[in-house]
Amino acid sequence: MKKLLSLALALCLMLSLAVPALAQETVKLKVWGSQEDQVMLGEMVEAFKAANPDKTYDVTFGVVGEPDAKTKYLEDPAAAADVFAFANDQVKDLVKASALYEVTRNKDAIVAANAPGAIESATVADVLYAYPMTADNGYFLYYDKSVINDEQVKTLDGILAAAQAANKKFFMNVSDGWYIASFFLAKGSLGIDANGVQTCDFNNEDGVAAGEAIKALTAHEAFLTGDDAILTGGMGDTIAAGVSGTWNATAIQEKLGDNYAATKLPTFTANGEQVQMSSFAGYKLMGVNSLTEYPVEAMALAEWLTNEANQLKRFEMRAMGPSNIKAAGNEAVLANAALAALALQANFATSQNDVLGTYWSPAEAFGTTMEAKNYDKDVKTLLDEMVAAITAK
Amino acid sequence: MSSMAVAKKRRKEKRSILKELYQTFRDGDAATRLSFLVMGFGCLRRGQIMKGLLYLAAQVLFIWFAFSFAWQHLSKIGTLGNVGMQRVWNEELQIYLRTPGDNSMLILLFSVLSILLFIGIVVLWRASIRSAYKAQNLAQAGQKLPSISDDLKALLNERFHMTMMTLPSLMVIAFTVLPTVFMVLIAFTNFDADHQPPGNMFTWVGLQNFSNLFGASALVSGTFSRILGWTMIWAVVATFTNYLFGMLLAIFINNRGIKLKSMWRTIFVITIAVPQFVSLMLMSQILHDLGPLNALLKQFGFIERSIPFLTDATSARITVLVVNLWVGIPYSMLITSGILMNIPKDLYESASIDGASPARMFFSITMPYMIFVTTPYLITAFVGNINNFNVIYLLTRGGPLVTDYYQAGKTDLLVTWLYKLTVERQNYSLASTIGIFVFVVSAGLSLIVYNASGSSRREEEFQ
Repeated sequence: MKKLLSLALALCLMLSLAVPALAQETVKLKVWGSQEDQVMLGEMVEAFKAANPDKTYDVTFGVVGEPDAKTKYLEDPAAAADVFAFANDQVKDLVKASALYEVTRNKDAIVAANAPGAIESATVADVLYAYPMTADNGYFLYYDKSVINDEQVKTLDGILAAAQAANKKFFMNVSDGWYIASFFLAKGSLGIDANGVQTCDFNNEDGVAAGEAIKALTAHEAFLTGDDAILTGGMGDTIAAGVSGTWNATAIQEKLGDNYAATKLPTFTANGEQVQMSSFAGYKLMGVNSLTEYPVEAMALAEWLTNEANQLKRFEMRAMGPSNIKAAGNEAVLANAALAALALQANFATSQNDVLGTYWSPAEAFGTTMEAKNYDKDVKTLLDEMVAAITAK
Repeated sequence: MSSMAVAKKRRKEKRSILKELYQTFRDGDAATRLSFLVMGFGCLRRGQIMKGLLYLAAQVLFIWFAFSFAWQHLSKIGTLGNVGMQRVWNEELQIYLRTPGDNSMLILLFSVLSILLFIGIVVLWRASIRSAYKAQNLAQAGQKLPSISDDLKALLNERFHMTMMTLPSLMVIAFTVLPTVFMVLIAFTNFDADHQPPGNMFTWVGLQNFSNLFGASALVSGTFSRILGWTMIWAVVATFTNYLFGMLLAIFINNRGIKLKSMWRTIFVITIAVPQFVSLMLMSQILHDLGPLNALLKQFGFIERSIPFLTDATSARITVLVVNLWVGIPYSMLITSGILMNIPKDLYESASIDGASPARMFFSITMPYMIFVTTPYLITAFVGNINNFNVIYLLTRGGPLVTDYYQAGKTDLLVTWLYKLTVERQNYSLASTIGIFVFVVSAGLSLIVYNASGSSRREEEFQ
């Protein structure tokens, strides 16, 4: 009996010693990423867990793509992910809503490892708010070499003429604030005033010239539009050239085969002279929710998901262009035609930092009106209305 | 009863409650009077221990709740919070640690909850005084006081309605009244993307949102009036086209010359079997500028350029109305065919003997009969169409967008605009203002139309 008792006591003692070790706090983190990234994110997080065996992690995933992150976050900040990916045009709005944790741990190393533009895109008022993840959130021109030659591809007029001659189309989704900006930003600019309200000069003389160029483009026989429908619209079959981003690179390359080519956007005709089209240079960033329960661990995870190795993994699995300087210098990355075209276009690109949420709908509205060939109002009037709506408080 | 008479009656009731309290205090003895301060005292004093204790417990609970919970929110209701989120640098962790500040949304929500509970305790307080007075009267008359088991039994018998209604009423208060009051109050704040809790705070702005909506902000009020116009056109046209075409279809199928009646009916009802949002999303794909329908028409050489079903203002408006027909006709066909079969045949027989044409019979017999019976249905359908989110949002997302609208497009209804303002722009206060307006419009119209209709005025005439 005594033995039994002592055994029981010993067992109790052992249990009481073991329990704290077993009951080590589990770090619960939620990660948001796009649908296509889920598998890849899962692998990255498993590697993260393996690299940090001193803590128990319980990481769950939510499907929220980078373009929707801000909207989804602001719906219910407390229920949002601890670590989430977003496009850098959302930084300003997110910071305004106090949504992002300042990146303070390992800041110098992160700043040194990534391209200056990427760091700048994640910085507001000299404070770094997010971890750069990719540097490919932009667009450029894909074209079919068998239809359009190297000379024609330099001007929009050349591309349209060549496409029409072959009874094919030039694809560009003009009814989208992101793409249509390429005309306006050639000479215009977006900014933010002291009150945090969007400023916009797209209705000045240069803006009207750009608007007229959009009108001419959308009225052209060879023009074709659609929501990111370059592939379903018939790239390679009925489409000879189109504006899109790296996410379509693999599919277009497969479709076009030897005729696959990509380059910077062409020039367009404004008031009789050729003007190089601009574009939005975008970065995708990884941010930490300011309301997270585990800031240190969430930061560690965000840093892990955006480190050199994982940026290369992103390139390999999803053909995304790295913002990490070393990863961008990788041979395979340099050999990628789409990323090379993006790099060419980057010389003319405009940072997406100073774009607020009010910009998108009015810009899309102008594009929609042009595509619908609704000429009840002249371009100047439409642009005045568009700018009034963009700069509304 | 006219509204004035109602108001008068209300005032009378209110006066009588105060009068009753005053009379109770005047005629009550010490125990009853003390019940004004200590709930349940009168019951306890006269031996209704359990009942008295329950009242007392309610009071104690309420005082505890008021100090531990309600006060910390109610005290900030004037400003909706004034301490923002705090950050403190932690050298060891190398991060800013945060302490949450005031959360305006929770302050508002819990204040509303506290006020509702306060109203509840006032009702209980009055009940406690009443039972103290009742106990006093019974004791003075030398009668036996009802025990707790008598009271409980009463709840199962003559006061059974109270037992049955308690849970539903509490549910209605918690899930309907509380959120509604909260949402209405939001309309008087500046709760938008720039003032979003928990990072930021919002505060009261009075009628600012209403004045923005009705003229102070040209962009917003211009958008509002034009969207309101389209919403009304949409609601009227969508309701009546669905109704008329559904009825015509039902008449065709009911026609004596038509064979295989049930087969035809089944075919049309099959569209109901497909979930509405599925058919709408499919339609939106089919009607896309580069969609299958346009591709097909081009292939056959009917058209050169895509028809802008959803991207041109006028054609998009026509498209949503037509697709709505396709979605709605089966329902109105089902509803009307039953009523059509009920119209007495002798009416038609005598009409045809008198030499009336089918059109004449339709307008003189069928229509009046149908309208008479279905006015309440039409009102429901009309209000439903004012708020017909699915058809618009799933087909066009409110598009095509136009430059002179504030974050809205040509087919946006007030309700889809409201949705965009909340989900995409986080402009909750403006959306809430629009919500109040939509409610006033649909409730007002329903009441006016219903009261003016034959269904309500000549109810007894219906055979």
